[in-house]
Amino acid sequence: MMNDLAQTSSAPIISARGLRKRFGKSEILHGLYFDIPPGRIYGLVGHNGAGKTTTLNAILGLTSYEGTLRVLGEDPYARRASLMENVAFISDVASLPRFLRVRELFALLSNIHPKFSPQKARDFLAGTDVRMEARIKNLSKGMIAQLHLAVVMAIDAKLLVLDEPTLGLDITYRKRFYRRLLEDYMTEERTLLITTHQVDEIEFMLSDIMFIREGDLILHMQMETVSTKFSQVLVDPANLDAAMALRPIFSETRFGQTVCVYDGVDRAQLEPLGTVSTPTLSDLFVALMERPTANPGAR
Amino acid sequence: MSQFHDQQPIFLQIRQRIIEMILKRTAAEGDALPSVRQISADLSVNPLTVTKAYQSLVDIGVVESRRGMGMYVNQGARDKLLAHEREKFLAEEWPRILNQIRALELDPAHLLNSGSDQGSDDE
Repeated sequence: MMNDLAQTSSAPIISARGLRKRFGKSEILHGLYFDIPPGRIYGLVGHNGAGKTTTLNAILGLTSYEGTLRVLGEDPYARRASLMENVAFISDVASLPRFLRVRELFALLSNIHPKFSPQKARDFLAGTDVRMEARIKNLSKGMIAQLHLAVVMAIDAKLLVLDEPTLGLDITYRKRFYRRLLEDYMTEERTLLITTHQVDEIEFMLSDIMFIREGDLILHMQMETVSTKFSQVLVDPANLDAAMALRPIFSETRFGQTVCVYDGVDRAQLEPLGTVSTPTLSDLFVALMERPTANPGAR
Repeated sequence: MSQFHDQQPIFLQIRQRIIEMILKRTAAEGDALPSVRQISADLSVNPLTVTKAYQSLVDIGVVESRRGMGMYVNQGARDKLLAHEREKFLAEEWPRILNQIRALELDPAHLLNSGSDQGSDDE
């Protein structure tokens, strides 16, 4: 069973100990500590410039760093070439060589990537509008996303990193993209690491979430824990004082109604105050980004 | 994502949908149920969440997990679920509904008649 495997899994896919990155005098990552086990779907969320892409680049061996980082047990910067056999990524939907035909791209990839299966990629594209003879530069944005997905899904990788994979795509393509990932790619041996600004769209796909703020990991938690730890209350106006007395980590008045977000407050205490729910990831993100003290529950 | 409400964990909402499939006989006893992967892709939810929903039904003996084959509805599952769901309804929902009926001074006999008229086009 998938959950048995996830719980008894031994070695983490990614392990960071004091991961630090400096560009000249400015420090971009202030020493991150985390483990990512196999079989999970991770969401990495943060503002532009918070250090998301730097973290991904370090994981992919594209940038040097200080501290210890292991991806599939290896130092990604020193062992990038061998690591890439087991790691696939989509960093930008438009980064495929534009002058090639799809058929030529597949031939090229077969030559340079030992684990790329052109047959799998062709099978995947059979269900789309992308033709083998088409030139990449003539494909629409949505088609390029499908081609990109076909390429990474045809690579038998253990770790798939998706950096804003659906940027600029319409909702239909976005849904199809994630559907194919869940249907044809995700297994208990594989791990997905996704960054996106449209986090609400993938919220239920995720098993774990990481929030990064100004180079610090301020939240690293299983989604299940998020729903027991954090609560959101739409406060009945009469209970406003009582609601504030329980010290919400965030409160906001929308259309005359006050919404409070709480960290670690018992739901039984909150029920009498109004309508209690679990905050969406985007609401939680806003709440935690504005909170002065960091590290509420990073593992 | 309007397919879920946010007052209950997603795995419980998925569990409830599977229960409804069995109660409405969309999935009969002995039938295969949709795979974890299928539900995960259909609803864009994490496979672990779907597994958890199924596991909770395996635990109460309603669903059987056959290795390498997927999930199946057990014999006697419907009776078990009916008993379970009736008990839950009478304990958790009925007292609240009854209060509401009294508060609104509705006539239960009239309600039951109009309910059965609508009930027939449900299927």
